[in-house]
Amino acid sequence: MSIIKNFLAWVFAAGSALTVLSALATPAPATAPKAETGAPALAPSAHPYAPTNGGAPAPAAEAKKPSASTADHSKFKELQKDFKEGPEVTKACLTCHTEAAKQVQHTKHWTWEFMNPDTKQRLGKKNIINNFCTAVQSNYQFCTACHVGYGWKDDKFDFSKQESVDCVVCHDTTGKYRKLPGLAGHPPYQDTEFPPHSGKIVKAVDLKDVAQKVGKTSRATCGACHFYGGGGDAVKHGDLDSSLANPGKYLDVHMAKDGLNFTCGTCHATSGHNVPGSRYTPTAMDKEKARLRGKADNSNPATCQSCHGTKPHPEKMAKLNEHTAKIACQTCHIPEFARGIATKMSWDWSTAGKMKDGKPYTGKDSAGRNAYDSKKGDFTWEKDVIPEYVWFNGKVDYTLRETKLDPSKVVKINTMNGSPDDGKSMIWPMKVFRGKQPFDAGSNQLVVFHTYGKDDSAFWGNFDWDKALEYGMKEIGAEYSGKYAFVSTEMSWPITHMVAPKGDALTCAQCHDAKTGGRLKNVSGVYMPSTGRQNSMLDMAGWALALLTLLGVIVHGAGRIYMSNRKG
Amino acid sequence: MSEKIYVFKVFERFWHWSQASLIIFMLITGFEVHGSYHLFGFGRAVSLHTIAAWTLIGLWVFAIFWHFTTGEWKQYIPTMEKVLAMVRYYSVGIFVHAPHPFRATTLKKHNPLQRLAYLGVLLFIGPLLWTSGWFYLFFGDWNTWGVDKYVSLEWVAFFHTAGAFMMLLFLIAHVYLTTAGHTPTAHIKAMITGWEEVD
Amino acid sequence: MLKILSGFILGLIFTAFTAYNMAPGLMFQERVSPFGLEETVARIQQNIENAGNGWSLSGLRNPAKAVQSDGGNTLPVLMIEACSTKYSAPILKDDSVRFLSILMPCKISIYKKNDGKTYIGNMNAGLMGRMFGPMVGEVMSHVAADQAKFLTFDPSKPAPQMKVGTPGGGGAGGGAGGGGGC
Repeated sequence: MSIIKNFLAWVFAAGSALTVLSALATPAPATAPKAETGAPALAPSAHPYAPTNGGAPAPAAEAKKPSASTADHSKFKELQKDFKEGPEVTKACLTCHTEAAKQVQHTKHWTWEFMNPDTKQRLGKKNIINNFCTAVQSNYQFCTACHVGYGWKDDKFDFSKQESVDCVVCHDTTGKYRKLPGLAGHPPYQDTEFPPHSGKIVKAVDLKDVAQKVGKTSRATCGACHFYGGGGDAVKHGDLDSSLANPGKYLDVHMAKDGLNFTCGTCHATSGHNVPGSRYTPTAMDKEKARLRGKADNSNPATCQSCHGTKPHPEKMAKLNEHTAKIACQTCHIPEFARGIATKMSWDWSTAGKMKDGKPYTGKDSAGRNAYDSKKGDFTWEKDVIPEYVWFNGKVDYTLRETKLDPSKVVKINTMNGSPDDGKSMIWPMKVFRGKQPFDAGSNQLVVFHTYGKDDSAFWGNFDWDKALEYGMKEIGAEYSGKYAFVSTEMSWPITHMVAPKGDALTCAQCHDAKTGGRLKNVSGVYMPSTGRQNSMLDMAGWALALLTLLGVIVHGAGRIYMSNRKG
Repeated sequence: MSEKIYVFKVFERFWHWSQASLIIFMLITGFEVHGSYHLFGFGRAVSLHTIAAWTLIGLWVFAIFWHFTTGEWKQYIPTMEKVLAMVRYYSVGIFVHAPHPFRATTLKKHNPLQRLAYLGVLLFIGPLLWTSGWFYLFFGDWNTWGVDKYVSLEWVAFFHTAGAFMMLLFLIAHVYLTTAGHTPTAHIKAMITGWEEVD
Repeated sequence: MLKILSGFILGLIFTAFTAYNMAPGLMFQERVSPFGLEETVARIQQNIENAGNGWSLSGLRNPAKAVQSDGGNTLPVLMIEACSTKYSAPILKDDSVRFLSILMPCKISIYKKNDGKTYIGNMNAGLMGRMFGPMVGEVMSHVAADQAKFLTFDPSKPAPQMKVGTPGGGGAGGGAGGGGGC
C-alpha cells in the first residue's frame, strides 16, 4: 500500500511541478516591479503636491485627429498679445465668451461651497474639515492652487470679479499650464524653484501659447487637480490618480487610450460649466432606464445606468440583472481600486513634528513610498485595494467643525447613510481612509490649523501645534480652548472610477463563498445563499432528520435481512 | 404462484424517472447553492439548478395534463382504509414474511400509506418548493409585483431549504420502501417495465 | 476471495482519493502574512540575504503585470526568486537529477486574496526532495531548513526596502543581491 502511496505522491509532485512551471512560463517583464513600486515623479519633495496637468500631455491619438472645432484660437486678435498675468487672459476670453465667467461663478468649482438641501449642512472645500490636509481655511494661498480662479490668498477674496476666473486651467491643451501651491491660484509668471529648496525649476508659463491653444477639457486638465487631491498623486480618492491620464484597458475600460478613450466629460456631461456628479449628494440608486438623446432630463448623466440602463446584462445572465436591484454596478465592476498607483490608506497627524538632528525629515516604506514626513506624520499606502462594502442611499452626514464629537470613539468625518430596507440603498464599494488628527480637547470639536504660510505660526515652518492651532482658529473666528489632543477619524469615499473590463468583474464565488463568507461578509441585513447566512437551526434539524431516516431504513433493512436469513 | 399485472403506463414511467433524476440533481445542486459543499462551483450550480427547475416545470405541465385527461389523479385520493394494516405490516409483518395487506391493481396502484405520502409530497412539499422557488427565480421582479415589502429572500430561502430537506427525507424513505414489495426488486422492476409481480 | 479482492480495490481507491486530495496541501504551503504585500516581500528578501549558506536573491517577478498589459486584472502577486549555489551545484552536476533545475531558483510567492490579506506560498522542499533519492533529499532538507528561516519575521525590526528587478535580466537596476549565479 505504501508503495502505491509513494507512487501517487510522486505523480502529484511531478504534476504540481509542471503546474508551477507553466505558471512561470507567463512572460513577466524583468523590469516590471520597478514601474509599479517606484515613487510618483514628484515624491522626493517634502510636499509632493503639485498639479501637473495629469502628468502627461493629451493622448497622441487625440492630438493627431484634425480638430472638429470651427474656431482656431491662434487666429484671434484678442489672443495675439503677451499676457503678463492670468486675469488678462480671462479678460480676452470674455470678449467673446461673454457669459462664461458668470456661469463658472455659480459652480462649486468656483465657490468651494455647497449647501446640502437635505441635511442643511454647509459643505464644500471651504467649510469641510477632512482627515487628509484637514482644512483649506487659513491656508488659502497654498490650497487654492486648485481653485478655478486667481488670487484667493485669504478670506477676503472677491468672488464677484469675472477676470479672477481661471479659464485656461480647464481648457489648456498644451499640458504646460501649471498652478503651484503657494501662489494663490496663479501659475508661475517667472521661473520658480519648486518645491522650495529642491533645486528644481518650474518654467514661467507661456500664457500666449496656452491661450491660443485652448480647447475642450481632457483627462489631463481635470486630473491636474482631481488626481492629486489630498496632497499628492493618488492620495485621496483611490479611484482617481495620474495613471488615468493615459490608462490601459485593464485600468479603465471606458477611458483606455487604445479603447473608447473617454474623457471625464464624456460621463460628466457638462452644460453651462456646471459639471454634474457630486460626492456631497451622490446618486446611490438610479432606477431610470438608459437616457435618450434629446429627452428633457435633469438626472445625473454620470451614473452607470444613464448609459447602460438598469438591466445591463444579456438575457442569458438574467440572474445578474436581478443583482442590480440591491448592488451598485461598481461593487462588481471595480473589484479593486488603486490598480495603477498605490493610494494613501491612513494618515496619522499625531506623529508629525518629529526631528532628526534638529531637522524635519522623511521616511520611506518597503515599496519606496513616502511613509513619514515631519510636516504631516505617518502614512500607509496600498495598491490593488479591496474596497469595504456598505449600504448607501446617497445621503451623507458630515462631522463639521461645529459638530460635537466623542473622542473615545472613531469619529466619522462623513457618515454614509443607508440600510437594506429603506428602498433607496445599494451595496456600494468604499475607500475608507483612516487617520488621527488634532481636535479641541476642551470643546470636543474638530479644529482648523494653520499649515502653510510665511509667518511663524505655520506648522510646516515651526512645527508648533499650539501656534498653528491658535492661528487657524483665530483666522476662522472660532473659539479655541487652548488644549488639543488627537482623535481617530475615518472618511469614506465611494468608489466609482477605474471600471475594469467585464472579464474582471467579481465572479459569483467571490461573494457567494460559504467557507470565508465572501467579499460582502460584513454587509448585514441581506440574505445571500452560500455565505454562511443560512438558518443554522434549520440546517441542523434537516441534516439530523435525514441522518435519522437513513439510520432508520438501514436498521429496518438489516432487520429484514437478518430475519429472512434466520428463516432461510 | 405469482402473477403479473400491468401497473404503470409508459408516460407514468417516463414521468417518474425523469422527475426522480431531476429531483436528485436539484438536491445536489441546490444544497451546493445553499453552501453545504463545493462541487460544481456556486455560479455553475445556480445555472444548473435553474435549468433543471425549468425542465421540471415543463415536465409537470405535461404530467398535470396527463393526470387530468386520464383520470389518474384519482390515484392520490387519500383513504384511511387499511392504513393501520400497512403500518403494522412495515413495523412487524415485513420481518416475518406476513402477506402484504395491499394488492396493487391498475386501478389502485398505490397502497394507502403511499397515497398519503404522495399526497403529502404533491400538496405540501411540492407547493412549498414551487412557490418559494418561483419567488427565488423572479427575485428581480418583486419590485414590479409590489411584493418586495412583504417577502424577504431570507424567508423564501428558509422555506425553500426546508422543502428541500423534506424532499430529501422523502427520497431516502421512498428509495428504501421500493424494496419492500413482493420481492425486494418487485417495485423497482414495475417502475421500469410497468409490470408488477403480485401474490 | 472476492471479498478480499474487492476490499483491496476499495482500499486502493480510498488511498488514491486521499492522496489526490492531500497531495497539493502537502507539496505546497500557504500562510497569512502579518504584513502588507511589499513589506512581506522586503522582509523575506532581507531574511534571504542574511541567511548565509550562499543564498542570494535572483529576482522579483510580477506576473500580474503581464495580465495588465493584456488588458486584464488580477490581485497582486510577487514572486521572490532566491538561489544558493551551495545547494544547486550538487543537483546540477548529477545527470540523473539535472531535470530538477526546472524547480530553480527557489521561489516564494507573495499574494493578496479576496479577504484583503497577504499570503505567502512556498513549496514543501523537504517533502519534494525525498522523492528524488538520498542526495537530493539531503540537499533539499537543508533548503527546507533555510526556507523556514526566510519566513521567520522579527516585527520589532523596521521594514526594509523591497528590492526590485532581476540581476542581469533587462537591466532593472540590479539591486538584488548581485549573486544571480544560478
